[in-house]
Order: sequence, then C-alpha cells, then structure tokens
Amino acid sequence: MKRFFDAELENFRSHLLQMGERAMDQTRLAMKALMDADIALADKVIAADDELDRLEVQIDDEAIRYMTLRGPVASELRLIVVGMKASHDLERVGDEATGIARRSRKLAIEPRLELYADLPRMSKIALEMLRDALDCFVQEDEQKALSVIRRDPEVDNLNRLLYRRLTSYMIEKPDTIARALELMFISKSIERIADHATNIAEEMVFLSKGLDIRHSDIGKQDVLPTIGSNPPV
Amino acid sequence: MVTTLAMPEPVAPPAAPRPVSVAPAAPVNPAARAVIEIDDVDFCYGASKALHDITLNIQERQVTAFIGPSGCGKSTLLRCLNRMNDLIDGAKVTAGQIRIDGVNIYDPRVDVIELRKRVGMVFQKSNPFPKSIYDNITYGLRIQGQKNKARLDEVVERSLRGAALWDEVKDRLHESALGMSGGQQQRLCIARAIAVEPEIILMDEPCSALDPIATAKVEELIHGLKKQFTIVIVTHNMQQAARCSDRTAFFYLGKLIEYADTRTIFMNPANPQTEAYVSGRFG
Amino acid sequence: MSAPTTTAAAIFNRSTPAKRVEQGAFWLLRLATYFVLLSAATIFIDIGWKGGRVVFQKQAPFINVPFLTEAPETLSVFEFDGKKMALGDRAFRQFSAAHEEKMKHVAVETYAYSAGGIFPNIVGTVLLVFGSITIALVLGVLSAVYLSEYATDGPFIRFLRLSIVNLAGVPSIVFGLFGAGLFVLTFKFGMSLLSGWLTLAFMVLPIIITASEEALKAVPKGYREGSLALGATKFQAITTNVLPYALPGILTSSVLAIARVAGETAPIMFTAAFVMRDELPWQGLSKWTDFFFQGVMALPYHIYNVASKIPQNEYTRDVQYGTVFVFLFTVAAIAMTAVILRQRLRKKYKW
Repeated sequence: MKRFFDAELENFRSHLLQMGERAMDQTRLAMKALMDADIALADKVIAADDELDRLEVQIDDEAIRYMTLRGPVASELRLIVVGMKASHDLERVGDEATGIARRSRKLAIEPRLELYADLPRMSKIALEMLRDALDCFVQEDEQKALSVIRRDPEVDNLNRLLYRRLTSYMIEKPDTIARALELMFISKSIERIADHATNIAEEMVFLSKGLDIRHSDIGKQDVLPTIGSNPPV
Repeated sequence: MVTTLAMPEPVAPPAAPRPVSVAPAAPVNPAARAVIEIDDVDFCYGASKALHDITLNIQERQVTAFIGPSGCGKSTLLRCLNRMNDLIDGAKVTAGQIRIDGVNIYDPRVDVIELRKRVGMVFQKSNPFPKSIYDNITYGLRIQGQKNKARLDEVVERSLRGAALWDEVKDRLHESALGMSGGQQQRLCIARAIAVEPEIILMDEPCSALDPIATAKVEELIHGLKKQFTIVIVTHNMQQAARCSDRTAFFYLGKLIEYADTRTIFMNPANPQTEAYVSGRFG
Repeated sequence: MSAPTTTAAAIFNRSTPAKRVEQGAFWLLRLATYFVLLSAATIFIDIGWKGGRVVFQKQAPFINVPFLTEAPETLSVFEFDGKKMALGDRAFRQFSAAHEEKMKHVAVETYAYSAGGIFPNIVGTVLLVFGSITIALVLGVLSAVYLSEYATDGPFIRFLRLSIVNLAGVPSIVFGLFGAGLFVLTFKFGMSLLSGWLTLAFMVLPIIITASEEALKAVPKGYREGSLALGATKFQAITTNVLPYALPGILTSSVLAIARVAGETAPIMFTAAFVMRDELPWQGLSKWTDFFFQGVMALPYHIYNVASKIPQNEYTRDVQYGTVFVFLFTVAAIAMTAVILRQRLRKKYKW
C-alpha cells in the first residue's frame, strides 16, 4: 500500500545520495588541486563546502520531521537514523576535503616535494570505499559493506608508511619541514575519509540487517549473525 | 534499549568491546518461564476457522502484546486463554493444546470458574458494574463467598492502590462507579480484576476508548503490574505495543506471522508482512 | 466556485417539491396525533365529568364515602306522600317496616346494583391484579431468563418463541373458557381467586416474557462477561449482574400487563368473578386456604353487569359512570406503584 508520505522518504534518500556524490566530488577535486597545484580549483573546493553543510542541516531537518510526524518503525526507522549519522560522516568527509584543498593551496606556491607517490593511491582507495559504502545504501548489500570495512587497514598502513617516510625526510632536510607537515596532514585527512567510509559501511549493515557491528569483531567475519530471522515461534 | 542505536560513541577505552545487539534485549525477568504454552492451536467458529496452528509461549511476568489487523484472530486467541469463547455457540478449539502452568485448560476436568479466577480479564469497553466502587472491587470475592468486612476493606484498598486509583477515589468508595471518568473506569476494571489475585491478566484493547492521558495512565499501570502479573494485551495501537510490551506477536488472517521481543518486531522484523504492518503500509 | 451573489441567492428559501411534500406530511402527522388526542380527551372528560359527580360531592367530606365503602344494593324507587323516594335495600326494608300499612299500596320500581357502593368490587379487582401479576412475573421472568440466557437457539426454541408470541393474539374469552375448563372444572378449583389468578396470569405471560427477554437483552454484554471473567458462575452472573438491571424494563412490561389484567372481563367471568357476593374476601373463612378458593366481585365485571341493564335509567347510569371512574383510578394507582418501583430501581442501577 502506498502512503501519501512515501515521497518524503524517497526525497530523504536521494538527498543523502546527492550529499554522498558531492562529498566524493569534493575529495576528488581537492586531490586534483593538490596534484596539479591548481589554486583556482582548491578555492572552488573550499567554497563548495557550504553546500555540503547545508545538505547536512537539511537532511537532519527532514529526518527529525519524519520522526516527529510519521512515526517510523522497522526499516524506515533504521533508514532515518542511519541517514542522520551518514550525513554527519559525509559532512566530515567534506571538511577533510576542504582541509586538503587549503593545504594544497599553500603547497602550490612552494617548490613541490616529490613525496606524493602514495597519496593518489590512498585517495583512490578511500574514494572507492566511499563509493561502495554509498552503493550499499541503494543496494542494501551487506557483503559489499563488509568489504569496505575490510579495506580500511590498507589505507591506515599507507598512511603510516607515508608518515614514516616524511619523518625521516624531515630529519634529513629540515627546510622541508613545513611542506612535509602539510603532506602529513593531507595523508591523515585521507585516512580520516576512509574511516568515515568505514563508519558509513557499518551504518549500512545496520540499515539492512538491524545489526550494530561497531567496535566489535563482527565486521571482520565473513558471515553475519542472523539477528533478523526470528523464527516465528 | 536504544544504546546500540543513537548513543554517542562511548568514551570508555575501546579495549572492552560493548556487547552487540545480537542477543535479544535483556528480558525484564531473566528467570522468566513460559506460563502459557500454546501448542498448534486451531480454533473454529462453527465451520469457519479463526486460528490456524498457533504456537507460542508467553513468559511469566512479562507483557506480551498481540497485534494485527482487525479480524486477524488476536482477540479470539486472547479469549481462548480464559475460555471466554465457551460462551459463543459453536466456537471451540479443534486442535492443539493451551497449557497454563503445564495444565491443559481445555481438559474436561478443568473447572472453568477456577481458571477464570486465575486468568483475569479487562475488556475493550470498560464495564464497571452499575454499583458502587466498593461493590465493584469486592464483586469477585463476594461471589466466592467472602463476607469478612475487614478482609474486603483491605482488598479494596490494596487493589485500588495496585491500580493507582486509591488516592483519586478513596473518599467516594460508596458512590456509583459510573460517575468516574472513562480512564478511571478502565482502571477500576483492572483493580477489580487484580482483587481476585489472578496470575495472568488478559487485556482486550483496554485503551481503545480512552483519551491519550487516560491511555498513558493505563500504560503506566500495565508497566507497574508486570512485576506481579503476567499480562497479555491485545492492541490496535502499535505505539502502545511498542511502549509497554516486552514481547510482541503479530497475527494475520488467523495465523501467527511473527513472534519476537518487541524491540525486534519494531526495529528489525524478519517477516515482510510484519514490517509492512508495523510501518503502516499494510494491504 | 460560483460568484458570491449566486451563493447568497441559493441560501434563501425557495419552494421545491420536496419541501411541499415535507409540509404536507408534517400536517398529516400533526392532524393524526391531534385526532387521537381528541378522542382520548373526549372519553376521559366524559368519564371524569359524569363519574366525578358520583364519586365527589360538594359538601364535606367531598367524597361519596358510601359509594367507595359499601356493597352494591338494589335501588327501590317509589312515590310516598307525594314525595319521590329512592332507597337502597337496607334503608328500604327499614322504611317498609316503619310504614308497613301505607307501603302496601305504593308501586315500587327496583333497579339492581343501583344503590350502595362498589367496595367489594374494588377489593376483588385489586386482589385479582396483584395475585395474577405476581404469578405472571415469577413464571414470566424465569422463562425469559431461560430463553435469553440459557437456551441455545434452535428449531425448538424458535418454535417456543413463536408459540409465546402467538399466545398474545388469543382472544381473552378463549382464555376465560380455557381457565374454566382447566382450573375450575378439571382441577376443581371452582369459581375462585386461584382460578382467576392463573387464567389472567396465562393471558399476560406472553407480554411479560417477551418484554422481559427484551429487557434482559438490553443489559450490556459487558456485565455478563465482566462477572464471568471474575469467576462467577452463569447463575451468579445473571442474578447479581443481569437481572437487577433488567428489572426496570420488566416492570414496564408489567405496567402493560396490569392494565390488561385489571381490564379484562371475559377471563374472569367464568373463573373468578361473582355478580354479587355478600361477604368480603376476608370474611367467613373457616381456614386460611379457603381464601384462595373463593370467588370475588370485580370492577370490570360489575361494569359489564350494570351496563347490560336494559332499559337504561338515570339511577343505574350514575353507578356506571362512578364505577368506570373508580376503575380507571384503581388501575392507574396500581400501575403507578409499578412505575414508582421502576423509577427507584432505575435510580439505583443507572447504566
């Protein structure tokens, strides 16, 4: 049976996806600005963050409105709750992208340090994680969500590796400390973006299975416990 | 109940992982046992079958809610539990057993009068007798032959206190019960039921005729009563089931579709029909 | 949306066929009601005026006491010393004894029941009504409880109900003959109060059973269920929580029954009513059971007797109107007790 307010839920869902797309764009463009030392692009990224903030507020508003007026339960309730949390994560992703853009703006006017090697790879993985996590939102595919969670250590490792390399570099060439530190922060930002993607993936598992896997080992298992299948007796 | 849902990330050291919500929400009474066991019950009104193969256990000192669209059999099942259906011509349990404390209540040796003393009932339409409040409460004991005034007085006070009604009516115990407000009347009916000290209280849509404040009071009462009684409540109000029950059974077309702890039914039901019903998109 | 002017015009009264029919129907209904009212008023004013003149009088004590306290007597009318005399039995005998000589030449016209009063008839009617209503209520309520609370609906019960309803349509003279055959002759109760009670009770049973069943059905199911759910037996539930609330309704039916019982002549003329009896019911009883086996005088039968005196004359007419007036008053008084009782019960068990 259709209900007259089903459209509200659809709007909510599409606004969330729209926000996800924007967050990913922001990240991609920030990385491009970094790699191409493109100040204009970096400025654009910084300016566009307002739109993400606005979307976050809007999604929260829609969620609260829906909870107040439509009394969601079951999958709808999970969608609303997950939507609020995911929008928060996406807003944070946007903030990280803005951070990257600001730092790439500073780096652009200085001689380039040839230490970017792993950054595009890291950001590629992080963006893929984000993409897959958001796909789960459409497909409710918890296996895909689990694969997102399992990819997070890879980004962490790359981050640690770059960290170590930059540290030794700074010891060797103290005059690069300022630039190396910026790169270190950028790397940290990418790592944070991957973390947010992981959070979103965990939320997607909750959305489709009603199972909260945060801070537990469940996400590392291949098969999720079957909480949803209550035997009728 | 909501800890796994919306609580901020705990600041406690992550070394101690929180329990995951895989286990059902902690039952109110961990030592709960099944007081009512319903086994493969079929029930017919004459030739038409109203209940198909119902199997479920009801836990002691918990509130169990029966939900489902009109005509789904939930009230019928409720009325099977104290054999109120005996009053309807041609209505009978045609298969299976209903056991209360291990005794099949449809055994021919069972005294239905004794059964009803142990399984009290509160009806959809509050039905205080057109007598005084005092006489309403003492009705059950008087028909059992209790005449001791002191004992009756004591029961009246205890029952009315139990139903959170004592302070409201203690000065007009001998006035007609029909002068009370609708919500008070329904709580009087609950007090009347607990006066005979049943083990189980069945409630058939007890709040359907009450305003929200009276409803809230009755729900508050139900919550308090489960310390002492096993309560089974039929309700059309899903929020009510969600608010005051520990376990919820969803019925549709005379069948039990899903039975689980209330949180699961409203958060994460297994059956799509349950999901559709609780989110109001049934049909 | 129509323009405001159109809307305003539409709201004013216009004559339509439906409205004209409505007006016509309204007047028809009103006229029918007024006609009924007029007929009833004519009857009551006629009886009240003519009967009132017999029962009430201008001087103290304002009530014609002998008419209400004495037995009927034969009226003797004659001309004595140029004076017109109208005397009842005892007075006439005394008068005759005093003027023995002169009376031998006087032409005396006699009119039966036209002197004295109607006290034995009042007593008889009151006894007949209370006795038969008591019997009918006990039997009727018990059957109604059985029919509406215990009996499972089936062909037999439906047949039983149909029979009871049909019984209500049987003419009262048939009941009278039935009572005469069964109670008076077969059971050898004779012309007696008991025969009359039973006959009248059987006559009004259908009214009482049907009305009592309705009254029982009108008691909300919740009271029965509420009692049963508290561990009452069915009988406890009915006696404590159904019957008391049905009583006002049952009493309403008994008001109808009272009017019927008090008014019927046919059932009692073969079973209980004497044209004339000298003793009052409590006089000359050798043992207390004799009370039930004596005939009585009754108002309706007395009315029948005085009304069938032909030719009619002014003396008897007074007694006729007086008797009818007292009769209506008696029935009203008995019915009023039932109404008051019902009112009391209603107040006690308000639902």
